[in-house]
Amino acid sequence: MPIRDTLTRLPRRLAGSLLALLLSSGAAQAADLDVSEARLRLMPGDLPGAGYFQLHNTGDEAVTLVGADSEAYGKVMLHMTVSEDGMSSMHAVSELEVASGDTLEFAPRGYHLMLMKRAHPLAVGDEVEVTLEFAGDRRLPVTFDVVSPRSL
Amino acid sequence: MPTALCKWCLPLVASLWLVGCSDQNWRTTDISEIMPRLDFTLVDENAETVQAEQYLGKPTVLYFGYTHCPDVCPSTLSRLSAATRRLDEALRDELQVLFVSVDPTRDTPEVMDRYTEAFGPQFIGLTGDTARLDALTNRYRVSYEYGDGFPDASYDVTHSSAVFAFDRQGQARLLIRDSDPLDNVVADLRRLAAQG
Repeated sequence: MPIRDTLTRLPRRLAGSLLALLLSSGAAQAADLDVSEARLRLMPGDLPGAGYFQLHNTGDEAVTLVGADSEAYGKVMLHMTVSEDGMSSMHAVSELEVASGDTLEFAPRGYHLMLMKRAHPLAVGDEVEVTLEFAGDRRLPVTFDVVSPRSL
Repeated sequence: MPTALCKWCLPLVASLWLVGCSDQNWRTTDISEIMPRLDFTLVDENAETVQAEQYLGKPTVLYFGYTHCPDVCPSTLSRLSAATRRLDEALRDELQVLFVSVDPTRDTPEVMDRYTEAFGPQFIGLTGDTARLDALTNRYRVSYEYGDGFPDASYDVTHSSAVFAFDRQGQARLLIRDSDPLDNVVADLRRLAAQG
């Protein structure tokens, strides 16, 4: 990703973390939010992919994740897998609060981003920007590593 | 007496060894006495009608799901893929994983072919019409259910998360759960694959 592109797309408050962002993919940092292990599992064809990450709230106040968006996909939803009596089902999640000091984990068989309607072809090893949306009109762009279903 | 001793020696050692073997517990759930042998008529990735008998001769893993499942199905298949990669090459090539889609409306043989290829050469995609899917899911006491939107819009499918394993003769042997540690899954698959 060209640096100039990244600069124009990033909100001003993130500019200070730009170096960190460029040096470590699969991550993003803001003053009070730290995202790590951001991975996107790429499935063949038009099948939906899943996004996983850890969001650590290092700030003094709770934040509320309300959605996600990406230019690479037509639709991104917050989902959660529910397993009951040996049956698995999936539910949309409208918002998730992360208290000060807490870590919200998006991991297999739990919370996940469901990424649908891929806009252009992607390959394992690519990086995809997904913006996490928070209450209060706050947005955090996160770089996700595209990984194979064999490895996640 | 040396000859007489030796005459008894081998069967004795053999029977002790066999007792030792049957005493060794599986680390996942043993379903030998509970579940019936593998039996189905389904459609494969080449749109050919296939029978369970065609898959005998290899240790077989059976899992139900659907390709539009973003989280659980790929996570389970990925774990099985990781487990097979930890087996010796000879055993790995022996094993086959049958992924049966309970969503035949969207999971055409072509979709299934591309999907299973993403997990490895041991993965085989199968599906079928409702009657044949129900015959198989009822046989192993699992179920599935379509969510809102079926069949025209985007919809989810609630389905069993159980993984079943069968020996080369098609006898049901193991139930593997998501909660079983990967080491246990690998150990049991290795043992199953090593059996004649």
